[in-house]
Amino acid sequence: MSKATFVARPKRAEPWTRLGSKVRLASLLTILVPASIFALFLFLTGTDFMAGLVTVFLPLQLLFGAWAGFYAFGKRGILDGLLLVITFFLAFFVLVMLASVLWSVIEAGFRAMSPHFIYQNNVYVSGKTGLEIGGAGHAIVGTSIVVGITSLVTVPLGVATAVYLTETRDFGRGTVRTLLQAMSAIPSVVAGLFIYSLLIISGWSGYSGLMGALALIPLMLPTVSRVAEESLRNVSRDLRNGALALGAPSYRAFLMVTLPAAQSGLVTAILLGIARVIGETAPLLLTMALANGTNANPLEGGMTTLPSYIFSFIALGDPSSIARAWGAALVLLIFVGLLFAAARVASAPKKVKKRSA
Amino acid sequence: MSNYHLETKDINVWFGERHVLKDVNLQFPNNKVTALIGPSGCGKSTFIRTLNRMHELIPSAGLAGEVLLDGKDIYGEAVDPVDVRIRVGMVFQKPNPFPTMSIKDNVMSGIKLSGITRSDTADLVEVSLKRAAMWNEVKDRLSDPAVSLSGGQQQRLCIARSLAMNPDVLLMDEPCSALDPGSTRRIEETILELKENVTIVIVTHNMQQAQRISDQTAFFLAEDNTPGYVVEFGETQQIFYGPIDPRTNEYVNGRFG
Repeated sequence: MSKATFVARPKRAEPWTRLGSKVRLASLLTILVPASIFALFLFLTGTDFMAGLVTVFLPLQLLFGAWAGFYAFGKRGILDGLLLVITFFLAFFVLVMLASVLWSVIEAGFRAMSPHFIYQNNVYVSGKTGLEIGGAGHAIVGTSIVVGITSLVTVPLGVATAVYLTETRDFGRGTVRTLLQAMSAIPSVVAGLFIYSLLIISGWSGYSGLMGALALIPLMLPTVSRVAEESLRNVSRDLRNGALALGAPSYRAFLMVTLPAAQSGLVTAILLGIARVIGETAPLLLTMALANGTNANPLEGGMTTLPSYIFSFIALGDPSSIARAWGAALVLLIFVGLLFAAARVASAPKKVKKRSA
Repeated sequence: MSNYHLETKDINVWFGERHVLKDVNLQFPNNKVTALIGPSGCGKSTFIRTLNRMHELIPSAGLAGEVLLDGKDIYGEAVDPVDVRIRVGMVFQKPNPFPTMSIKDNVMSGIKLSGITRSDTADLVEVSLKRAAMWNEVKDRLSDPAVSLSGGQQQRLCIARSLAMNPDVLLMDEPCSALDPGSTRRIEETILELKENVTIVIVTHNMQQAQRISDQTAFFLAEDNTPGYVVEFGETQQIFYGPIDPRTNEYVNGRFG
């Protein structure tokens, strides 16, 4: 045996990321060649991009991917190369679609965007009114209030349901779970109709934000409790036992050990629940009497939300109305984005200080 | 009142219809270490869980008999399991420090979780970690998350966590089975120091460990589809060097199980 030779490596090197010249060459060719041929092909023949993408580019790319896999790793690399190409292709496809949806909302929404679009309401606006007055301020207020009330009721109720399903003896558990499943299958318009016929037609209440929130609660509840249940279930039994064995009453064991361990999952449950209802239109059309004025009182008078606003303006059909609808869509997008970002920041695990002494 | 700190009388255990432990009568005197040995599935862990009422947390669990702690049945009417578990601490097979808490908070967690008020909490962290023989290793990083510790340290943290409650009895369910020899040795040293103040019951699969640390040993056995029971119970020296039952002899000498 010859003396072992040591490769001199800097500290913290990541030798596993070095691919070797063969792999690098193959990857480079696989990325560049099919794309260039495709570009040339489009330029010469003038074929439709989408048609060419599937009929020319994808087969070509697959061929090159398989070749690169074979060249770099031998027979076993062929499948690897093919799968890599397919994965990337589909991922890019979806990403491009998503980006284009976002972009069209931003582009079209920007035309209606102005400071007064955020705070003004709709009282003096008709289909013919120009974009210089009127806005979605009342819808922003409405969405905040309606979704706020819905969350205020549903989050405690949904988490409590999840706690019942995971932390207690199993009395009635199956029934509760079946009911939740049934609830999650209710078409949203039926939830709206239910509140409409039960509380509004009967004369018990007029159209109001509260009625809208009541219609949204059964839609949000199953999402919150199912996801919360899942995240509580993922907390290991060892931890609960550890807490109980220290002499913790079960409610304290839950509050101090299980709940913190499940925190990020619970935040996800709440966010998914909000995402479920923030875009709802149908049940609100039946319960809130889409108002044009700003109304911050959920107990009395009509209200509107951003999705309902979009719905009613798209229906008007004039160019300026459609621009307003896009604007409201952009506002909704930003609204949801801010909400989710805030929730993520709030639920991020606290950084534990290093070296306290 | 009996002379024993902890004593079981005719403990029988069921899971649903399955009878898993039959007529277990053991006595645990003050300041003695008792080892429970026996092949897997003979009910040692189930038995140890009946001693601080963790057993009843398993759905379908059933129990007959008495567990007397200072002469009083812990399964008696109107006895709160919380009070039992405060006095009878437990260390599990797998280290289970609370991942959302720092090392310091883990040690204090029992006090907070049980909601008891004590006057001597000021240096409880230091005292408990010292009793678990890990103060010097962690004194500079008490605010680090508990999961940043190694497996052996995590287990000793769990012991420190139990000791912070100042229990009268400490139950240990194979506390060293996931640990390396070094950590095992330190935990054994800890156990020998602890027995000055605490009555210890330990389940172990390690015959040498049972000999090194225990004063008395109980050998459990469950033959095919019959409930587990205690074959032999006595001084550790006697169980290992002069067992009366031939099955004990075979087991401690590694011929079956």
